Amino acid sequence: MGPESLGGANQRSVDSLASKLRRRQVVGSRATALETLLVLRQVVSKARFSNIEQLVEIIRDVGRRLVEAQPKEHSVGNTVRKVLHHIREEYQTATRGTAAASTPQTFSIAKFVLQGQPRQHTLAPKSVESKGTLKENDPDDPDSFARGLKPVLMEAIQDVLDELETVYDNVSKNAKDHIHSDEIILTLGMSKTVEAFLKSAAHHRNYTVIVTETAPLYGGRELAKSLSGAGISTFLVPDSSMFAIMSRVNKVILGAHAILANGGMFATSGSLIAATAARAHSTPVVVCAGQFKLTPLWNLYHEYGALDFGDPSSVLGFEEGDLVDKVEVVNPYYDYVRPELIDGFITNDGDHPPSSIYRLLKETYDDEDNEL
Amino acid sequence: MPPKSSSTGKEKLIDEEVLQAIILADSFNKRFRPLTARRPRCLLPICNAPLLDWTFESLALAGVQEIFVICRSFAEQVRVAIKESRWSKPGSGIKIVPILTAKETFSPGDAMRDIYTRGLVTSDFVLVMGDLVSNIRIDEVVRVHKERRKTNKDAIMTMVVKESGAQHRTKARGDSSIFVLDAETSECLHYEPIMGYPQTKVAHIPREVFAEHPEIEVRNDLIDCSIDVCSVEVPSLFQDNFDYLDIRKDFVHGVLTSDLLMKNIHCYVAKEGYAARVKDTKSYDSVSKDILSRWTFPLVPDDNHPGGHIYEHIRGNKYIAKDNSVLLARTCKVGNNTLIGSSTQIHENTQVTASVIGRNCIIGPGTIIRDAYIFDGTEIGSYCVIERSIIGSGAKIKDNSRVQRGSLIGDGVIVGPSVTLGPFERLSKKRDTMDENESDGEDVDSDLEEVEANQDSYPNVLGEQSNALVWPKGPPVDNDEEDELANYNNERFMRIGDDASDLDFSDIGSMTSDSESDTEDDSSDLDVRHKSLTAPSDTSLPLEIPSTGVPMAETEFRMEVTQSLERAFAEGHSVDNAAVELKTLRMASNVPLTRVREAVVAGIVERIRIVEGGGIPQRKEIASVIGRWGELIDKIGGIDPVETISALQTHCALSLRMPLFGQILAALYQDDIVEEDHIRKWYALSTSRGEGNKPLAESENIKKCWSIVAHMIKQFDEQESDDESEEDGLSPIDDKPAVVNKGQEDSASDDDESGDESNDENVGEPPSGLRSWSVEKGNEGVEKIGEPEDKNETAQSGKENKAETSKPPTMNIPVTLGDGTKPRVITEASQGVVSNKGDTKGEDDDDEDSEEGERMTRRHAIMPEVPNIRATSGLTTRASVPGATKTETEQQHLGISKQDNSTQDTNNVADPISGPLKSISSALPQDQALLSSWAKDDDQDEEDDDESDDDDNEGEDDEETDEEEDIEGSEESDDSTNAMLES
Repeated sequence: MGPESLGGANQRSVDSLASKLRRRQVVGSRATALETLLVLRQVVSKARFSNIEQLVEIIRDVGRRLVEAQPKEHSVGNTVRKVLHHIREEYQTATRGTAAASTPQTFSIAKFVLQGQPRQHTLAPKSVESKGTLKENDPDDPDSFARGLKPVLMEAIQDVLDELETVYDNVSKNAKDHIHSDEIILTLGMSKTVEAFLKSAAHHRNYTVIVTETAPLYGGRELAKSLSGAGISTFLVPDSSMFAIMSRVNKVILGAHAILANGGMFATSGSLIAATAARAHSTPVVVCAGQFKLTPLWNLYHEYGALDFGDPSSVLGFEEGDLVDKVEVVNPYYDYVRPELIDGFITNDGDHPPSSIYRLLKETYDDEDNEL
Repeated sequence: MPPKSSSTGKEKLIDEEVLQAIILADSFNKRFRPLTARRPRCLLPICNAPLLDWTFESLALAGVQEIFVICRSFAEQVRVAIKESRWSKPGSGIKIVPILTAKETFSPGDAMRDIYTRGLVTSDFVLVMGDLVSNIRIDEVVRVHKERRKTNKDAIMTMVVKESGAQHRTKARGDSSIFVLDAETSECLHYEPIMGYPQTKVAHIPREVFAEHPEIEVRNDLIDCSIDVCSVEVPSLFQDNFDYLDIRKDFVHGVLTSDLLMKNIHCYVAKEGYAARVKDTKSYDSVSKDILSRWTFPLVPDDNHPGGHIYEHIRGNKYIAKDNSVLLARTCKVGNNTLIGSSTQIHENTQVTASVIGRNCIIGPGTIIRDAYIFDGTEIGSYCVIERSIIGSGAKIKDNSRVQRGSLIGDGVIVGPSVTLGPFERLSKKRDTMDENESDGEDVDSDLEEVEANQDSYPNVLGEQSNALVWPKGPPVDNDEEDELANYNNERFMRIGDDASDLDFSDIGSMTSDSESDTEDDSSDLDVRHKSLTAPSDTSLPLEIPSTGVPMAETEFRMEVTQSLERAFAEGHSVDNAAVELKTLRMASNVPLTRVREAVVAGIVERIRIVEGGGIPQRKEIASVIGRWGELIDKIGGIDPVETISALQTHCALSLRMPLFGQILAALYQDDIVEEDHIRKWYALSTSRGEGNKPLAESENIKKCWSIVAHMIKQFDEQESDDESEEDGLSPIDDKPAVVNKGQEDSASDDDESGDESNDENVGEPPSGLRSWSVEKGNEGVEKIGEPEDKNETAQSGKENKAETSKPPTMNIPVTLGDGTKPRVITEASQGVVSNKGDTKGEDDDDEDSEEGERMTRRHAIMPEVPNIRATSGLTTRASVPGATKTETEQQHLGISKQDNSTQDTNNVADPISGPLKSISSALPQDQALLSSWAKDDDQDEEDDDESDDDDNEGEDDEETDEEEDIEGSEESDDSTNAMLES
């Protein structure tokens, strides 16, 4: 199995995405997730397999290569895990759908260890089921299994794709429940999710947003421009004034780069200051993020930063010749925000406290995929 | 070159076209010896990946799809390396074609010609060197380039340069350049390389640059990344100009200075991104550090390592191979900015700081490694110290050894135990019989043999088991040529660990800064003059030390001209053809027209055979030669008979053909090449009489010539019995703005004496034409420059003059030089002074006593480095002296009023100096206006006439200046001559 089973075209598309990821030509968790999904869809549609293990192996192999290419974009791995999860689910419903459905799935904490994997088996049985049996490893017609399963698989992938594409809408659909009139919201960085969330809330509420500039990338400026363009009363403040302003802020809304298994998260650098300042003022910190950012990983390496450091040029100009020689510049892209500093996650699938993230993870991914 | 039509057809498809790149994978120099003794430089690892892979990655980042790698030395190794790299695997998206070029390819220029003959490129392509590390979006540069090409077909090349500070570790001090850019279009208007040693102090910027562009930037703070986006024409230009060797020094310079090609080169100043070349060991060091401190992001070891290794990035920019194969002892210390390759072992109490350690290395206990680069598979014993060195792969440094800064240890060398290597030691492995017959290393072997031959002179200090050869240090011994030493010293700036502090500069550069402030101050005359940018036909920036390159170029040029004339004489070219050839030569060497004229006159004179017995046959000979070739003098680009006579005189004074002077002049007269007026005019010049200090023999001859002409003029006078002779010798009372002066008159008479004096002193010295010439001109120039301020006490308008001149016609020139000071822009006019300035530190007070000042300046003028004689030469030829006729004076007057806002006529004629500047600045207080008027007048340049054909819009200015002149004239009417206003 392995790469040999991939067609030339698949091979190329995987390679090209891998090198794009490596060269940071595709950045941002949603963009990488989308690209990964498209490649996976192509791989699945072209793959030749005669049983489920082969298919899983193919996908895992692709996933492994993509993750190795860019271990810092966690949503690549997340997407692969999610697809694998969906594929297994579809496979189960397709093969012994009735049997699985028959066992009632009343999930309880008490039975959690025994049950192992909480599953959402409430899905309606797919049409495949009616087609009857899917024969694995059919010696006469090795492709029959693939032929039978592929349509459902494509559908499953399409589901994931739809979820990705509607993630902003779904995250922000409850925005008016979180933001109240005349509140002062503090946010930072340029997060598409937060932007959509705030804009959606603005349809119902009249509130004020304070955006910090978020050096050195200054995503905050962009966000402030966009928000004020949408008619929200917006203030752009320097990062340094974060703490001073915090006393007047009702709520801090942050975006996330990745939500970790312990309920912490990686988020644009500056988020940690904001969260800490908010904690000092007992201001609630809410994180808006799609579920594709759920990552079955822990932060083991750096206490404050993610493992992703950019180039120093945005902090210290290259033309500062003599300084370049003497100063070491650390420019982390992401802060690590501990779960204690976060009050809640607003996702496209409901709101969750940090303490229940582990459960979401279990529901979303299969345990065996945690290591690709 | 492909036909134009096809290329325009392609233009439409250009977006879909494959982006091609060419990598010159050979370095064409030996700076990495002996590391490169057994492999090409492009395969040397930097941060554990071959340089070539970094280059590929840089290009891949830019979306290049097809790469040609031109390799010469160790071509086979390069080919194999490419074949085995991940780039050759399917799916890399890049097609890499190694091109093995001939061994005879000795320069990038040759490689380009090879590219042309192979017809590799079909459209715009990216040209890089095989040692590039970059994350610049080259595709963006290509886009800009193509965009520009749509409107301007002559934009053949875009060079990528990266802004860096005045001093930057990545910017080589020995090997930087000055770029003169148009601020708006970033067209590169002028390029000049800068040497670290001898420090280049003066840059010469052609005045056309100032004339044609309202705003320019002169920049020395750019790192030349050697990324060029070239059009298909570029290789063919190399083909056409077979003498282009270097892409920058020859090609760019050649294209920019050529009047014939009419091609433009642009610069792309990269604000973002990183690009640098590993062109020497010093830049190896700095680029490594840049990579480790992530300037090359995303091309960093933990992210996108070109070698495909995976490193883990730990805070403090430590990178440790991620495959869990690295063995770090519990007590070892790994400092910041360190990269450790896989399977490497680092034992107890070892310290590794700011270093790169390859794969499979073993570092013994207690060893200290600082700023060192250790390639794969090297073993280092216990308690060693290694600093700022590069150690090749498979080397063994045994226990208790010490490798001091700057050492290069070749592959497989064994050193020690208990050996201390001095700084900058270079070692390579002795050849065993095994690898002797490697065909790859032919050219290497000769070097190696040399090294081997010299081994006896080194005591065996490398330890018992050592297999090392010691490479000689210091400049090449058997080669005591000046430039070899300079070259060696210059290369020192490029060595790892060498700060070359002993070569450091005297602090001349800092003097430049004071000009900005104290123009009101009388003592800062020199500075005022610097600022009096009148006609910048050649602007110089004081860098560090005057370049000795200029006189060399001139002698070279002289030889070229002589040869080309000889050819013309021998093969009987037509006069026109010979003239074209000379013109081209002049353009190529960028020398003033005067030089050409001198050379031509000299050539023609030498062409005349001396006929035994003299008399009529001799005269016939002269007539025939002059009749055949005399025309040439006027066809070389400008007509200036007075200068012709001067040249003739100067030449004859030194030549065997001295006795023929009169006859030749007569022949020229007969052929209407010179006319009576010219002879008279020349006769009136002070220089014609041999004034100024010159070697004895010459000045005597010159006087003889002068007396011959005196005789001739007498004849004219007799013939015409005109009353012109009345005026002859009189000091005309002119109404010029004259800043001139008694001082000069005094000194004029002085000159004779002092000249004689110095002649006596110089008796032993062989008279050299060039030298004496430059003395003379330099002298003139300096005198004239010195004059206006000298006279400030007498000239009523002196103060005003000063105040006005103090406002320099600034051009926007943000130059940052090595020391970070902003230098002045100095016009050619003041160049004589500029170069002197360094020597005359503190002697600026020559205005107090003009005579003394003159002498002083004269002394400096003798300095052979007077970098630009062009300025002063023009002056000399037309300078008038007591004895100028009235008509001439008037003419000159007109000339002045024209030149007041113009830069003057023919190319060679230089600048109005401070005197006229007064009127310039009053007439045109706006800098912009001044510039624009220059531009305008420069257009007229080519019409080369002394007539003051005033434009309508100039008329106004002229009036003003006339007024001013009148005022001054009335006040200084007793000051007769006005040499400086001439020119």
